[in-house]
Amino acid sequence: MDFLEVVGSRRSIRIFKPWEQVEKEKIQRILEVVRLTTCPGNLQPWRAIVVERDKLSKEDRETLLACDNYQGAHVNAPVWIYWFADVEGSTADTFRTRVHDLVDLGALPTFYGWTHETIDSAIVKGETAPEGMPAIHSLIHGLPREAAEAVARQETVGACAVAVLAAVNEGLGTCLHMAASAEKTPDLHTVLNAPEGWVPVWCQLVGYPAESPDGGGQRPRLPFETLYYDGTYGKPFARDSKVVEELEEEKLIQEQMPKPGRFEELKHLARMLGFPL
Amino acid sequence: MEGNTSAMNDLKSYPSVQKWIENVNRYYDLSDEEWDSRIQTLADFCRSEEKDPDTVIAEALADRGEKVDFIRRLKRFVKTQTSNPRVGHDLENIVRSFFIHNGARVVTRPYRADT
Repeated sequence: MDFLEVVGSRRSIRIFKPWEQVEKEKIQRILEVVRLTTCPGNLQPWRAIVVERDKLSKEDRETLLACDNYQGAHVNAPVWIYWFADVEGSTADTFRTRVHDLVDLGALPTFYGWTHETIDSAIVKGETAPEGMPAIHSLIHGLPREAAEAVARQETVGACAVAVLAAVNEGLGTCLHMAASAEKTPDLHTVLNAPEGWVPVWCQLVGYPAESPDGGGQRPRLPFETLYYDGTYGKPFARDSKVVEELEEEKLIQEQMPKPGRFEELKHLARMLGFPL
Repeated sequence: MEGNTSAMNDLKSYPSVQKWIENVNRYYDLSDEEWDSRIQTLADFCRSEEKDPDTVIAEALADRGEKVDFIRRLKRFVKTQTSNPRVGHDLENIVRSFFIHNGARVVTRPYRADT
């Protein structure tokens, strides 16, 4: 599928075919895509544990479902990918190691000021980074654990956005769900045997959609002009209707929901899958 | 029987039943025949509980344990109505729907609860 069509076809799918298993190769392909996604300092703080619902013991399955309040889509989906943010993956020391590597590999050019010495003096000693480099002395030096956790979380969220598109590209339905409420997080760690420093971020549900893959149409979005500005706030970025037309042809922009027959579809799905209407 | 039982013959007069019908019909617009059958099932369940629909909901909302007990008894009630598992599941779902649309959340599974 073309990139624009993948983005345009993505929906949060909440009704899966519970009987249809997802090929392991497709899950691997999603994970491979995420492995290569963008990340500052090449930190890669995301981790994932892939769970196949029907391979869980009854006790573990119920515990994991209880962690997110037995959400209907979670119950219904055959594969649950738990995405975690590894706090250790975003510490100042990890950042230092990774950017050293990036300098040595030629990704961070020395002519912008990136050297082992400038990196160490900024991150370890807190000295002002030379012009041409980001102000890593203020961003990374003395980074407290809470801030490292925030960085790990935000980068994992970004990775999840890519994971969702990767799943759509495989012809799968997918949706990001809360992994666990705060009080249930220890249960999640116990069942999945997740290390203590891993913070649950999202549970990505994956399966073949039982509902129409277009999910009843694209979700309503805020007007373009209220989101984007040109040069300064208050001057909306002009939206060229010709570009919009092109994007419609390229299937980025698709019919908005509710498409006719959506509730009829839901009615039949509820009956087929045995959900109360 | 607890609650106002004089109106049990006209279940549609209960606010909980009106709310149920209104909520479901807002999206799914079920036929009158379907509603007659659903209401009959609810009435039979309420009779087996010896409670009117509003009382059933009030008790389920007030006490999670009571709600779970209702669902347990619902399963037993359904077994008295049919030996066909699919028909039984559909009957259970009618009462579950009544609970859900009155704010008493109940869980359903795409697999058997005992597996």
